[in-house]
Amino acid sequence: MTNMDITLPSKKFKHKATIFSVAAIVVTVACIYINFNPLAIITEFHFIRDLLAEMFPPNYQSLTENSSTGYAILQTLSMALLGTLYGGIIAILLAFLSAPNTMPYKFVRLMVQAIVSLIRVMPTLVVVLIFVIAVGPGAFAGMLTLVFTIIGTFGKLFADVIENAEQSPGEAIYSVGASRLQVIRYSIVPQILPPLIASLLYSFDVSMRTAISLGIFGGGGIGFKFQLAKSVLHYKDMTAYISIIIVLVVLTEKLSDYLRRRILGEGKLR
Amino acid sequence: MIEVKDLTKTLPNGRKVLDGISFKVKKGEFVGILGPSGAGKTLTLRCLNGLLKPDSGSVIVQDGNGEKHDICKIGKRELRQVRQRIGVIFQGYHLVKRLSVLENVMIGRVGQINTLRSLFYGFTDEEAEEAVKALDKVKIAHMAGNRTGSLSGGEMQRVAIARAIFQSPTLLLADEPISNLDPSNAKTIMKLIRPLSENIPVVGVFHQPEMTAKYCSRVIAIKEGKVIYDGDPKLSNKKLEEIYGEELGQLDQYEYSQQPSMVEAEMRLL
Amino acid sequence: MTSSKYSFKRYRKLIIPVISLLVVAEGAAIVCGATFDKLFTGLTRGFSFLAYMFPPQWNAFSEMVEPALQTILIAFLGTIFGTIMSVFFAILAASNISNKWVRFIARFLIGLERSVPEIVIILLLIAAFGLGAMSGVVALALGCIGMIGKLLADTIEELDSTMLESIESVGANKFQVINFGIMPQIMPNLISYTLFRFEINIRLSVLLGAVGAGGIGYELDYSFSMLQYHRALTAVIVIMIMVFGTEQLSSVLRKKFAGEGVLK
Repeated sequence: MTNMDITLPSKKFKHKATIFSVAAIVVTVACIYINFNPLAIITEFHFIRDLLAEMFPPNYQSLTENSSTGYAILQTLSMALLGTLYGGIIAILLAFLSAPNTMPYKFVRLMVQAIVSLIRVMPTLVVVLIFVIAVGPGAFAGMLTLVFTIIGTFGKLFADVIENAEQSPGEAIYSVGASRLQVIRYSIVPQILPPLIASLLYSFDVSMRTAISLGIFGGGGIGFKFQLAKSVLHYKDMTAYISIIIVLVVLTEKLSDYLRRRILGEGKLR
Repeated sequence: MIEVKDLTKTLPNGRKVLDGISFKVKKGEFVGILGPSGAGKTLTLRCLNGLLKPDSGSVIVQDGNGEKHDICKIGKRELRQVRQRIGVIFQGYHLVKRLSVLENVMIGRVGQINTLRSLFYGFTDEEAEEAVKALDKVKIAHMAGNRTGSLSGGEMQRVAIARAIFQSPTLLLADEPISNLDPSNAKTIMKLIRPLSENIPVVGVFHQPEMTAKYCSRVIAIKEGKVIYDGDPKLSNKKLEEIYGEELGQLDQYEYSQQPSMVEAEMRLL
Repeated sequence: MTSSKYSFKRYRKLIIPVISLLVVAEGAAIVCGATFDKLFTGLTRGFSFLAYMFPPQWNAFSEMVEPALQTILIAFLGTIFGTIMSVFFAILAASNISNKWVRFIARFLIGLERSVPEIVIILLLIAAFGLGAMSGVVALALGCIGMIGKLLADTIEELDSTMLESIESVGANKFQVINFGIMPQIMPNLISYTLFRFEINIRLSVLLGAVGAGGIGYELDYSFSMLQYHRALTAVIVIMIMVFGTEQLSSVLRKKFAGEGVLK
């Protein structure tokens, strides 16, 4: 396998330069179209400086006086927890229903796959607005939205994991007279449960961030409090909330790491 | 010309890995460094181009203009300048696998061209042609356009040599260049390295005394951080034992006499 | 005898964790105000509302094209600028390039960015610069750093350090080592991460649009608050097409570029 037609460096450079120029033109046109001037960040930096001046030092007093902050943190955590928990359970169930090795009926599979795809493409914004109309604003709407988001994210992923599970242990069990359900219980479930749970735990801190975002849309929790502070221009409160958010997310990351190691490292699922 | 004086290095745990290594290599010499594992051969070689800094001692090399530099003492910038004319080939080839063979060779001169030009424009067509000539010298020019990762070990080592040739080096270093190659490829590589020593000093670390005996003009043996031999590449068995330890000669005999013969083993099974 | 003892003992380990999980879940449900009857009434209300939203306002589709384009462009520019910044941060955050302090600071900044949701970022930007696409693009670009920056930094650290050393040995300076050693090797990963992030950014762009970045997210939010639910459904459909199209495009491009490996 020889390759004598090497591209001369000058040609390669011309090639690279054209691609770069085209990309630069596209980006410039796009910037002009939506009226975005990247340099404005530098020229108008004083806005950021002024904002930072108003935001610091963070005002923790108003938070600690008001007991609702702790409750809001609890709410956000609960939203993330329940969203991941129930969303995960439903996602796993749907995955079993949409994977060929656990659901032999093609019709059911296609239906479930269509539902999962539909859920996945639904923009979060719509989901949260509808849930707010359905169950009223607050953490419940946020939690339900999160359930939806988790199903959308993991529905297909889990189906792929189930599909790619090894068949041989299942065949062995089947050949000694087990039913399909037993094959699922003893061959597939032990294989896939660890990676599934790992993914869910891994996504816990993403769910936290989503929960905070949803709070801003009326979903309750600390996102909501942040929004509130902004709407009355209490900048120092905002900064305090941001610091709490950062701490919360970091702690959640550490927690999910810890849980993952404990649950999976211990070999709890046998 | 390269002159090594009194290299010493002690590990944090107190072990002296280099203990006064000294030797001098002139143009026209192909020096092979032998020794048992852990003796300090590779460490010595790495001191020669500054990849390792010894605790004390000096390594004096001549650059393209005839000026002398002490590798152990010069600053980063000067080191880079001196390195431009020092060719190095490694046991694991260490080429950039996703670039083409030609590009890997041209990287040899990257230190010699202007930084801005190398980053934005790349190499010139003239440099590419010279690189092809270098590839031709190692008989691999027909693969110039191939992706380096698709080459075999022997071919990759030849590319590495071509890169060194492309540098127009004043010194060539080789760190176990043939240890990963089969005997036929190893011979090819040694046959390619030897002619290079006509104009510049070549220093290589080897684990194969039979190869150094055949191709090197001089052999240096290092044991426990000290130079214990410096001279004729053809080493007697007694000398080899001295270098590698008594076990080498006796071990063969022990193993041979203790192993049941193949015939006996078969009969026992039957 | 022994068999029943055996099967129950196995599950004993699970009892405490499962019970504590149930307790925590129940507590969390109370905190959120989640009850089953609220759920059921909510579901019925939600479905009837969805049914009410049909049919979409057909003549509004043409009005949605420009906002959709805006949203896509905001996501596009945010991804482009974000990727450039991420590469910069990732190189600084890789232990095989930077010294201890630079790496620590870079990793800290990346981690810090990861903790702040993009919505919070855009609200701050709006407070500074006002509403509009600029806040959206900057928020999305900064958002990329947390994800692409971290992934890329890890990828760089896993590179073969001996290859980098080999390039150093010919006298290359740091920039050249980065340009010839690191960039070619991480290209497929970079393309893959960028395309993946683009999918995420499209969704975020919709969300941020509602908060003030403009585009179709804003149209959706506006329609809802104006009780023009049929128009809102039109926006929803357009958004769904957008997201779906982006996913397909992204997976096609990823297979093409990141799969076979692009020679730089």
